[in-house]
Amino acid sequence: MTVRATRSIGLTSAGTYVALILAAVCTVFPFLMMVVVSLKPRGIGNIFRMLNPEGVSLASYDKILGSADVWTWTFNSLVYSVVSVVLVLLFSSMAGYAFAKKRFPGKEAMFWTFLAMLMVPTQVTLIPLFILLSWFNGIDTYWGLIIPTVANAQSIFLMRQFIAGIPDELIEAARIDGAGEWRIFWQIVLPQTGPIMATMGTFVFLWHWNDFLWPLLVAQSDATRTLTVGLASLQSEQVNTSEIMAGTTLSFVPTFIVFLLLQRFFVRSIMTSGLK
Amino acid sequence: MGQAHPLPGTARPVLMNAQTRGLPVLVKALTTREARVGFAFVLPALVLFIIFRIGPTLAGLVLSFMEYRIGRSSFTGLQNFSRLFADPIFWESLRVTMTYVVISVPLTTVVALAMALLVNRPVRWQSFFRSAFFLPYVTSLIMAGIIWVAIYGPSGPINAVLTLIGLPTANWLEQPGSVLPAIAVMSVWKNFGYSMMVFLSGLLAIPGEYYEAADIDGADSWRKFWSITLPLLKPTLFFVLVIETIGAFQVFDAVYVMTNGGPVRASYTLVYMLYDQGFQFFNFGAASAVGVVLFIIILLISLVQRRFLSERAS
Repeated sequence: MTVRATRSIGLTSAGTYVALILAAVCTVFPFLMMVVVSLKPRGIGNIFRMLNPEGVSLASYDKILGSADVWTWTFNSLVYSVVSVVLVLLFSSMAGYAFAKKRFPGKEAMFWTFLAMLMVPTQVTLIPLFILLSWFNGIDTYWGLIIPTVANAQSIFLMRQFIAGIPDELIEAARIDGAGEWRIFWQIVLPQTGPIMATMGTFVFLWHWNDFLWPLLVAQSDATRTLTVGLASLQSEQVNTSEIMAGTTLSFVPTFIVFLLLQRFFVRSIMTSGLK
Repeated sequence: MGQAHPLPGTARPVLMNAQTRGLPVLVKALTTREARVGFAFVLPALVLFIIFRIGPTLAGLVLSFMEYRIGRSSFTGLQNFSRLFADPIFWESLRVTMTYVVISVPLTTVVALAMALLVNRPVRWQSFFRSAFFLPYVTSLIMAGIIWVAIYGPSGPINAVLTLIGLPTANWLEQPGSVLPAIAVMSVWKNFGYSMMVFLSGLLAIPGEYYEAADIDGADSWRKFWSITLPLLKPTLFFVLVIETIGAFQVFDAVYVMTNGGPVRASYTLVYMLYDQGFQFFNFGAASAVGVVLFIIILLISLVQRRFLSERAS
């Protein structure tokens, strides 16, 4: 594989390194700039000397963390992401199990209808969902924010694919031992789904943590507003750039931890299934 | 989908029975234990899908033919569409969105492919480079947008470099001519890592023997790229193009946080118009009409791309 790769493109080795390092600098620079700006409340001055330690302080972090709003937004983002992950994983593994291992009327039609919904841009459903939520007083509530995002066709599809690979004998053996249907699912099937749970969990967490348009519409007050919506509101209120950057840096911490821990999982799943 | 391409794994018998013999069969079928259990396990997902995906999709189509006001709603036929098509702002936002797609999709695809070829080579710190290029993908567009506003700013790094080499500076996000390319460059930064990984998986699937045979024939590397790598990468390229195009047509977050659709609507995209109509002016019918247009465009694009690529493949 490596031999073939070397021959496939005729760049000299030095050229490859120059290109890679240049690209890496361009990719990492925005992160670096975010952190530097957040650490220099009085501005970074000359951009070419931005790494100069002069004027470095945590004042912007003090200020942004001193506002109760930012803590509430962070908490709301956590609620939105974590509750969604749990519900998506639960309902999609249940549905995936039924689609993979059970026979019932309308099964295929139902499965392909779910998948077909992937082709509908979510923006088409925004207005009906908004009207629906306002009928049931769901605007500006956690449940109104979370529940409509739990129907996830990609997750159901991948769960079905994965659970189909679990041997039927395992399930049959448990049934012969007298285990009930729910116990078979909970104690036999679910423990086998670790890798797909980790992958889907990571993706669903990131989708929700980074989500913007839906929370912008539903989470209208600071009580339910998420971090992305809150940061965007700071940006439009022209709050000091250094403080906003302190906020974005903090908002990136959970994402970065997830990235470091689970990188392998989701890189592999992008490469095998094109999950986005 | 339709009949031309039967979907793999579709078990027809169950479906046929339910359709041809109708509801009694369905009810009777549900009396078997396995069917009831299976149905019970999909039930939560089914209810969620009907209420929050399928229902709202149909309602979105219906609303586009309605005048929806609190307490007073009526069907108005094609009025929302005729108004929309008579509105110069709609055509402008369509043009803005298309321009954005035309700039960002090829740019992202080319950068992603080039980087995939580079990180596929046996280099030191290969996994570091792969991770670094992938990192922006996990950021939120709000975070990316906020950072890039600073990068494009009057005293930001881009203008500083331009001053250094004696070129004129610009207010990148405040000039109609440069705002869309500027947003596109930000989105290349954020998204190329994803497509790079997809390309990488495509590259790893190409058998090494092809390159060895080409070496024996004395083909140079440029030739090998055009005659081996690219043709064999076609399905991957198709996937990346469709995914990137659909994503680019839905651009919103970046515009919201970077430009608010400005300057003078130079970045007023379709989804921004939908947001404006629906949630600033509460003109739900008009916003739904924009949504339907977006839906149709996305459907058409994937059909055209599929056709184009399959024609070139044959």
